[in-house]
Amino acid sequence: MTKALQIALLQVRIYLQDRGDLGFSLLLPVVTFALMYFVFGGQTQFHATAHIVNEDPGGIYSEAFIEQLDALKELDIDLLSLDKADGKLERADLLMFVVIPEGFSDGLASGEPVELLFKQRGNGGQEQQIVAALVRSVADDISLGLQVQEQVIAALVDTDTTINQIETTVERLLADEQESPTVAVTEEAIGSSPDPVNQFLAGIITMYVLFAIILSARMLVEERHLGTLERLLTTRLSVGQLFAGKYIAGISRGFIQTVILMVLSYAVFQIFTPLSFMSSLLVALVYASAASALGLIIASVARTPDQATWMGVFFTMAMVMISGTFFPIEEGSVMEIISRFSVNTYANDAFRTLINEGGSLGDIGFEIGVLAGVIVVGLLLSRYLFKVMPGGR
Amino acid sequence: MSANYLVAQDLHKSFNEHKAVNGVSFTIRKREIFGLLGPNGAGKTTTIRMLSTVLEPDQGDVIIGGYSIKREAEEVRNLIGVCPQELALYVELGALDNLLFFGRMAGMSSQEAREQALAHLKLVGLEERAKGRIDKFSGGMKRRVNLAVALMGHPELLFLDEPTVGIDPQSRNNIYETIEGLRDKGMTILYTTHYMEEADRLCDRVAIMDGGQIIAMDTPHELKAQIGSPDRVTLEDVFLKQTGRSLRD
Repeated sequence: MTKALQIALLQVRIYLQDRGDLGFSLLLPVVTFALMYFVFGGQTQFHATAHIVNEDPGGIYSEAFIEQLDALKELDIDLLSLDKADGKLERADLLMFVVIPEGFSDGLASGEPVELLFKQRGNGGQEQQIVAALVRSVADDISLGLQVQEQVIAALVDTDTTINQIETTVERLLADEQESPTVAVTEEAIGSSPDPVNQFLAGIITMYVLFAIILSARMLVEERHLGTLERLLTTRLSVGQLFAGKYIAGISRGFIQTVILMVLSYAVFQIFTPLSFMSSLLVALVYASAASALGLIIASVARTPDQATWMGVFFTMAMVMISGTFFPIEEGSVMEIISRFSVNTYANDAFRTLINEGGSLGDIGFEIGVLAGVIVVGLLLSRYLFKVMPGGR
Repeated sequence: MSANYLVAQDLHKSFNEHKAVNGVSFTIRKREIFGLLGPNGAGKTTTIRMLSTVLEPDQGDVIIGGYSIKREAEEVRNLIGVCPQELALYVELGALDNLLFFGRMAGMSSQEAREQALAHLKLVGLEERAKGRIDKFSGGMKRRVNLAVALMGHPELLFLDEPTVGIDPQSRNNIYETIEGLRDKGMTILYTTHYMEEADRLCDRVAIMDGGQIIAMDTPHELKAQIGSPDRVTLEDVFLKQTGRSLRD
């Protein structure tokens, strides 16, 4: 075992000294993470732009409507002319815009019904559907306020109360209601928020661990070509010790990379709790062990370093694609059945349970069990296939 | 005359339908430098791989220092050192680190490995560059490190597979002197090369292989005497006469 550990240690040293390899395996996940941070701006709430065409410029209600939209922290407002908005929609530069029609304010002032127009490509996309819902809710608020005001005026029409007094009172009451709603909603957070960083972190971790294993597989094939493996077998090292050393080296490499990513997520996005961090480290170790066994299978069947790379890339992309790493898979669909054949699915599920749902190790027993099974089968198969040289030990 | 240290008997090895080694038998005496010569594809490297326990013979056996490579491979590996044709080194690491690593793999303690590594680097003239990275070394320096690694563990039998390929005369001369010094200290050496003058200078006896078989075996002097005056005939003349002039690419 000591010799196996020395081999693993040597591989880790080589890994840490090879700038190109180190750059690829460590810098790239960090860059990906930085890009995520840049894209999401460190925000964990929904944020989008509402594109508005105001055909009722200067109108009291149209301006008030835009002001209320602008006050929403989820929205930025982009005011456009109708021609420009149509052009952008045509070119798919935007997916939806809202048209405030001409006479919008006059219509509302006279109690006439008015209509907002949503022009969109297809269903407008997920983000713009949320924008549309926010716009509708603001329009509903305005509509409700006006209806209340009309009803109060109708009820008080025979009293001495002036219209101004009624309007001021209704506005104040509505503002009070908004501040202290009769039906309030309380949010109870369980685990960290399901924001995009959380959603993608599991996928990034599992994908880069597989990439790390490709590099390990390639290095092993290169060693076979260079003759260092053959030379090691002329020492007092057994094939089993050599195999174990390379296996531990693969685990170390995948695990080091995962730890760096997880520490970054912890520090930058505060994704973890101390307990979920420790649990996630355990999952990372189990997953890296499974991936290392799979990497040894690739290294055993590949004849050249390039073959190892391409087999690894194909394997990684296939595992990532069918596991729903970066897109949701509908429950009960055919894709869900297919996804069960990807080792990433179980690692992703385990990470998401711990990170997004605040689960504990007890909640991911099945996933850990499957990954442990992959380790056992992968090790048996790779040990059977592993040869230092064709026709030799 | 010294006792036989290595006895190879009727070695056979095939890869698919190709017979790489076909009935090779020879002996190497203690403290002897034995040359294994032959054109490309003659079966020299396959023979060395069997002798060094990396490949198992399909037929035949080899006794090294009293141990069978088939039944007592581990004991055999305690006696041998291998300097392969390829530069089998971790080029991202320093020369000393390579020697230390292979020393540990040979079962040495950390201290023992360090002492031996420094001594071997001095032997091949690289003590000043002990910490230099292999990928920054010249071809000759890499070859010398390759040889130094093979010496870790003080093997009794050293396999040198074309140890002087592609290096400058100074490095080649250093390797010659090192090999002669090792022989003088009691080491037994099996040496393969394509340079006939090298074999003539270093080897006590040579075997010429072709087509997986040994086709001639004797001292360089006797082999030359078989085709003319040893003073006028070269070992290359003998080699070409035995193996022919057709290309073996």
